[in-house]
Amino acid sequence: MRIWVIWGSVVSLIAGFLVIYILTTPRYGAPNPVENFNVPFVFGRFTIPADNLLTKESIALGRRLFYDPRLSGNNQISCATCHQQSLAFTDGLAGSVGVSGKPLAFNSMSLANLMWGPARFFWNGRATSLEEQALIPIQHPDEMAQDLGSLIKELSQDDTYVELFGIAYDGISKEAIAKALASFQRTLISANSRYDQYLRGEISLNEEEELGRKLFMAHPDTKSSLRGGNCIDCHSQFLTSGFTAQLDGFSNNGLDNDAALLAGLSEVTGKAEHRGFFKTPTLRNIAVTAPYMHDGRFSTLEDVLNHYNGGIQHSETLSPLIVEADNIDNHQGSTISLNLTAKEERAIISFLHTLTDEQFLSDTRFSDPFKEAPPR
Amino acid sequence: MNITKIIFLIVEIFSVLTACMEQASTAQKITLRLLPYVGQQPLIFNEYRYSNPGGKGHFKIRDFQFYLSNIRLSAEGHVYRVPDSYHLVRFDNENGFYEIDLTIKEPYPFSQITFGVGVDEKANATILNVGDLDPNSRMAWNWEVGYKFILFEGFLSLSEDTIPLVYHIGFDENYTELSLPLHLADTPHVSIFKVDILSLFNGQGALDLAEIPSVKFDRQDARQIAAGFAHLISTCDASCT
Repeated sequence: MRIWVIWGSVVSLIAGFLVIYILTTPRYGAPNPVENFNVPFVFGRFTIPADNLLTKESIALGRRLFYDPRLSGNNQISCATCHQQSLAFTDGLAGSVGVSGKPLAFNSMSLANLMWGPARFFWNGRATSLEEQALIPIQHPDEMAQDLGSLIKELSQDDTYVELFGIAYDGISKEAIAKALASFQRTLISANSRYDQYLRGEISLNEEEELGRKLFMAHPDTKSSLRGGNCIDCHSQFLTSGFTAQLDGFSNNGLDNDAALLAGLSEVTGKAEHRGFFKTPTLRNIAVTAPYMHDGRFSTLEDVLNHYNGGIQHSETLSPLIVEADNIDNHQGSTISLNLTAKEERAIISFLHTLTDEQFLSDTRFSDPFKEAPPR
Repeated sequence: MNITKIIFLIVEIFSVLTACMEQASTAQKITLRLLPYVGQQPLIFNEYRYSNPGGKGHFKIRDFQFYLSNIRLSAEGHVYRVPDSYHLVRFDNENGFYEIDLTIKEPYPFSQITFGVGVDEKANATILNVGDLDPNSRMAWNWEVGYKFILFEGFLSLSEDTIPLVYHIGFDENYTELSLPLHLADTPHVSIFKVDILSLFNGQGALDLAEIPSVKFDRQDARQIAAGFAHLISTCDASCT
């Protein structure tokens, strides 16, 4: 009798260990760390969430999801429909068109250098992380109109997804979908434009570009004879995005008067002083991301410069920096304008063209993986 | 291993452990709390509630932030330097005040604090991210000019007009060091200071904001505002709680 008790205990112990071993051993192996991940020093600090570190598998998975139309309810719209690589991940439309066929009220935002700049996403800053952002367009009825439960079922029938999700996130879930899309987007780093090459001391800018750069980097001050385009008051010098700290990366840049002003950031913060505030976008690759502004109202960079040079609409929350910035001393009159010359406007546009990063626009690491030739 | 070596080893481990414990027990936590005022009135953003110091009308403050740098605490015969001490002081947060928390692994009874308003010449010439210095932030002019030490933006309302106010004050010569007595409450160690924004417009006599509504790169104007840096921060007395 006693021997059976001992045998019984030994067998249960072994069975217990076996169950623990099976439960704790990843079925698909461990994820691999990402290699050769370099970012420019001048971009400054960045953080990657501790619960979503970049791995080879999470990035590959995110890239696949980004280009997969199965993420939409009608299996026809992927993230890349509105975020096309050749247009710096925009779509060339004033308002993007998704599953419903109804143009959206807002312009598709460029996706570049997302680890820097305002840590809020969408034009009104309603998402506070890339993970939070990722699931919103997927479920929006006018964008991708997908039910997350159905999506998880669909992806679970695809062996490649099952394996990649298994390695990267221990299985398919809505959190894992969000994390993978965020990981891929964190790798979309644009850092080889002519401006970057200039910052690294590899090239010089031509005379017009250099004049544009100086104007970009200066708030005008007639008293000290400094002419400026005032761009840097909202677009940081190296990133050219909005500022990172608190809500410094949002502003009202004078597009509408009080009657027409949209809620913008105030919809998120509930504060009247944020009415008409929108996210300051990166100007990286700006020459290929037309049309411009949160509603895509301007078709060309010339239109944008003309706005700052005489087209400013006054409103209660308009930035004093915009009202005050004027290249003409003691300028009288009600028009708010930088009063730049035509030559200066052209120079700023020339400088903006130095922000185009051809390598980024065609980098195969960011391209559609479904169009890649299958490995032999 | 003979018995002597073992005894030595035990004694060593014991002394290291004791030293660690002593270190932990002598660490001081000190909080510097800065409360914002405009003269005698507490700062409320976005409301025309403050009189133009040297002229007509009332002004409102939309944005205000400044760099406080290089904090040193002094005790009798000893000075502690806070490492990477570049703090962007701002009040547009839920508390309405700004705090700097220091953990100092030194037992000295500190009685004086010294710090700079602005950014010292060496740091002002770099693009390193040290402390709160960030060349991609709103406080950076550009790498050729350096940092704004103080950023003040708002509007002045006159009966017939509204004038934008922009005071971006920087330049190496305006970096100003202040020394103040450090009054620490028993527990927790909190020292409270008053930041008087109005001092910026009283450095060289009361300024009419309508006369000089904007100061950026004109060195003489910048000096006039920076003359008030010496009085920007003071120990909080009974009038400030």
